[in-house]
Amino acid sequence: MSAVVSETGTIGTRTAVAAGSLVKVYGKGDTAVRALDGVSVSFEAGKFTAIMGPSGSGKSTLMHCLAGLDDVDSGTVHIGSQEITGLSDKELTKLRRDRVGFVFQAFNLLPTLTAQQNVLLGLELAGRKPDQEWFDTIVDVLGLRDRLRHKPTELSGGQQQRVACARALVSRPDVVFADEPTGNLDSRSGAEVLDFLRMSVRKLGQTVIMVTHDPNAASYADRVVLLADGHLAGEIHNPTADSVLSALKNLGA
Amino acid sequence: MLRTILAGLRARTARLVLSSVAIALGVAFVSGTMVLGDGLRESVTDEFSKSSRGVDVSVGVDHQNSDAEGIPRGVAEQISTVQGVAGTDVRGYLHVALLGGEGKARPAVVAPLAKTESLREFDVIEGRYPTAANEIAVDERTATTSKLGIGGQVELLNEQQEKRSFTVVGTYRQGTSLLSLSGSDHVVLLPESLEQLDPGVLYDSVVVAGDGSVGQEALVAAITSALGSGGYRIETGAALVQQDLAFVEQNIGDITTVLLGFAFIALVVSSMVIYNTFTILVAQRTRELALLRCVGAGRGQVFRSVIAEALAMGLFASLVGLFGGIGVSAALQWGLARSTGGEADVRIPVEPVTVIAAFAVGVLVTLVAAVLPALRATRVPPIAALRSQLDSNDDVARTGRLRVAFALLLLVGGVALAVLGTGQKGEQAMLISGAGCMLVLIGVLVLGPLLVGPINRVLGVVPRALLGVPAELAAGNASRNPRRTAATTSALLIGVTIVSTVTVLASSGKETANAQVDAEFPADYNVTSSLYDQVLPQDLVTQLDDLPEVEEVSAAAYLSVELQDEQFAYVTAVEGDAIGGLVNPTIVAGTLDSLADDEVVLSESAARRTGLKIGDTYEVRGSSRADAADAPAPTKPLTVVAFYEGEAFYDGLVALPTARALKPELERGYERVMVKLADGVDAAAGRAAVQRVTDPSPIAVLDSAAETKAQLSKQVDQLLGFMWALIGLAVLIALFGIANTLSLSVLERTRESALLRALGLTRGQLRLMLVVESILMALMGAAVGLVLGIGFSWVLTTALSSDNIPLTFAVPYGQIGTMLVAAVLAAVLAAALPARRAARTSVVAGMAEG
Repeated sequence: MSAVVSETGTIGTRTAVAAGSLVKVYGKGDTAVRALDGVSVSFEAGKFTAIMGPSGSGKSTLMHCLAGLDDVDSGTVHIGSQEITGLSDKELTKLRRDRVGFVFQAFNLLPTLTAQQNVLLGLELAGRKPDQEWFDTIVDVLGLRDRLRHKPTELSGGQQQRVACARALVSRPDVVFADEPTGNLDSRSGAEVLDFLRMSVRKLGQTVIMVTHDPNAASYADRVVLLADGHLAGEIHNPTADSVLSALKNLGA
Repeated sequence: MLRTILAGLRARTARLVLSSVAIALGVAFVSGTMVLGDGLRESVTDEFSKSSRGVDVSVGVDHQNSDAEGIPRGVAEQISTVQGVAGTDVRGYLHVALLGGEGKARPAVVAPLAKTESLREFDVIEGRYPTAANEIAVDERTATTSKLGIGGQVELLNEQQEKRSFTVVGTYRQGTSLLSLSGSDHVVLLPESLEQLDPGVLYDSVVVAGDGSVGQEALVAAITSALGSGGYRIETGAALVQQDLAFVEQNIGDITTVLLGFAFIALVVSSMVIYNTFTILVAQRTRELALLRCVGAGRGQVFRSVIAEALAMGLFASLVGLFGGIGVSAALQWGLARSTGGEADVRIPVEPVTVIAAFAVGVLVTLVAAVLPALRATRVPPIAALRSQLDSNDDVARTGRLRVAFALLLLVGGVALAVLGTGQKGEQAMLISGAGCMLVLIGVLVLGPLLVGPINRVLGVVPRALLGVPAELAAGNASRNPRRTAATTSALLIGVTIVSTVTVLASSGKETANAQVDAEFPADYNVTSSLYDQVLPQDLVTQLDDLPEVEEVSAAAYLSVELQDEQFAYVTAVEGDAIGGLVNPTIVAGTLDSLADDEVVLSESAARRTGLKIGDTYEVRGSSRADAADAPAPTKPLTVVAFYEGEAFYDGLVALPTARALKPELERGYERVMVKLADGVDAAAGRAAVQRVTDPSPIAVLDSAAETKAQLSKQVDQLLGFMWALIGLAVLIALFGIANTLSLSVLERTRESALLRALGLTRGQLRLMLVVESILMALMGAAVGLVLGIGFSWVLTTALSSDNIPLTFAVPYGQIGTMLVAAVLAAVLAAALPARRAARTSVVAGMAEG
């Protein structure tokens, strides 16, 4: 694990996102399910981290809570130095606008907007001017230059996911959350998206946290956090598809 | 399959209930109209039958075989001696002036009180009937308007201006009759007192109550032989009832037809909403239907399942609508009674035909509206179940060339008809132009999906500039499915088109009338008689002329003359030198400086009708005095000197001396005095001066041109208010349509909304987005509707405008503005619930949907 040069030029192993004793319970009484049962984990800035686990392990819930999309029953979540648990809906919305980027599995784009409008949507909502140079960099790296005027329905699945990646990064968020970003893609398109996410961390200094159940996708990450039954079940540094697969097997997935 | 359908109905209860509202409103309108019509008929029949209740035989003048003007009371006494007669009474009325508290006369009708109780056509409300010669009972409406209470004093003024005082002893309610509908005040006296007001009074009829010993027919025969010579029309009470019913049918029928016309509009609008709802419902269920197909459901089964759903919805909504309609009808009757100051007489007769119509309309319209979507549902391929993403954008099929061609055909045809119509005259012009307008409206509706994009771009500019990203998104959403948006807004479009057409037409009519009042009577004040058969005395004119505040006074009278054989005309008589001053006709042929004694000026239409030419001289016949009916009518040769346009002076203009020669009664005075104030006289001071002269006269009523205009406007506005209320329901349905579409769109876009929230759209912005979308849709309908409405009314005014009545085209910007603001506000309301729902959904739950 080596220190990386972040955008601001500071060197170190800053914590981008941290969760402390997170508990999330769905339902009540007998049917209550503890989706997260005291999870404490931190994610380093400038790193690509994958959250893995079998279905029902709570990995999506963890991501939702970390991103401020869902509220927690107890415990804390920090993004940077700011605690986000207990923030109002409005404050959380502002936080998402300014400091968080998202790439979802599907339905990432608004069908009524062009690719370019989709990329810039978050910035516009925040009332911020896009950094043209940064925008160009992202668009060129993702090979979207000649697709900017197209509507989502005119784009392939891979192209759509790349537009989503561009949108997630264009605001230079503190952290990008990716929820199964390759789940709907063929392997080639999937690999492109994962390459880009890894490149954005290594070259552009971004922080990416990705939820996936695909060991191959997880192997692109710097670190894999394993989750089972709402508990932290270990982690793997510099994972390979094989090491992830065997770790998952040990979890009984 | 049935189980699937039932399960589907249960699962989508909320959506279906919402969609049912549109159907229920349509049904409510139809059934409400029918109940209202039946209720009115029932109530009017009851009212009219008050005049025939208790009557076994009615004796009237047989006008075909007799010249008698009425029946003297002696005939009643003669009949009362006939075997089998229990009682007889006279019926008729006398026009008098009624002086209440304020010293101003109001026209009133006096009727004799029947002595036989069973023959009384009125019901006492308070107090009792008069029993002494100086007692009077007043109609309850008269009591209210003239502020008369029991124990109060009333003076009646007969034609000879003699006053008699009476004490009010009771109030009564009269049945509806031609008299009560005339709006005159109504009082009853003992027949003796009536005859003191007019000793020579003749009655319209004698009504007879039998003692039950013989039938009505036998009684007729006995009375016929007792009266001997002919000249009477003797009928049974049963025949009288039949005549009343026929009369009621004739008059109520028109009202019901008009109401049903509005119901039809409401129905068209609601079928559009229903059709749209089903289209959306089916589009959203594409995946579910495809799954059904995957597991082996046949096309027929899918079709039937959608139709069955429509059937269930139609039945439910019809039931709700039927009861709603009964409620609406009751509320309307109550409201009408309240606004006219009468007692609420709410009747809600529910005829079988009403129930059948309600269900036929609700169920059939729903079924018809569902057929197309159902057919579309059968075309869903099973593979659609496996597609990951579905948006009902699928039905954004390209607008076909056929549609454009069809729409253009309608538009061109419509415009051609409208233009053709403007060249025609009268009713024909209106029919042809009206049909043209209809075609244009349908053409625009057909073209709708193509118009959505451009209109939305134009309308979206302002909210985009003001509200930023949410508005931008809203504009995108409003035009993402042009067909759906077009169908949603077309309902509103129809409503607004009709409302604005009617409103602009009404305002044009008002403007025309005002302009005519201004142009033809440049008087500041008009003094008229409050009683039609009583003229203003000559000395009133002299007194007014003597006032220093008054510059010019001109008297006018009206009379009916026979221009040629059987060519009757109603002409205005004015002072010959008033022409060009207070009397200002627009001359279109011949010349007119002042009107001499033996001259006549005709209106263009009268000239056309009679074929008279300028320079022609004719022997014109007037009318003889009423008190010397047998004397030959006076005649006078008159020369036609000019033609004028417009109808302000009726058929023609003559000088006052001419009029006096042709109608001797006019020697006593005038029917109207026009007053022009001197320059620089303050309006209030001028009015006060004129009032000093007119106040002592019980019959002189002072009004200004401004007041006349105000009165005219009020009448037009009342009519307009009624129209607005009726069309309002169609607009309401249309707004439900918008709410409906929005709710369904919100459901469809759950994931999209969640995505936006994840990307940083606040709850407020999400709500704002939907509100703006709703406003855009409403404005689309309203704006196009207004453009069409104003255009149509322009076409119609042009078509209706003729040489006689040149119509001024006037757009009431205030009312139009009000309509637009109302549309925006209603759109905000329509978006309230869907927006709440959208904003409440949590981001995580939203992402998990679909």
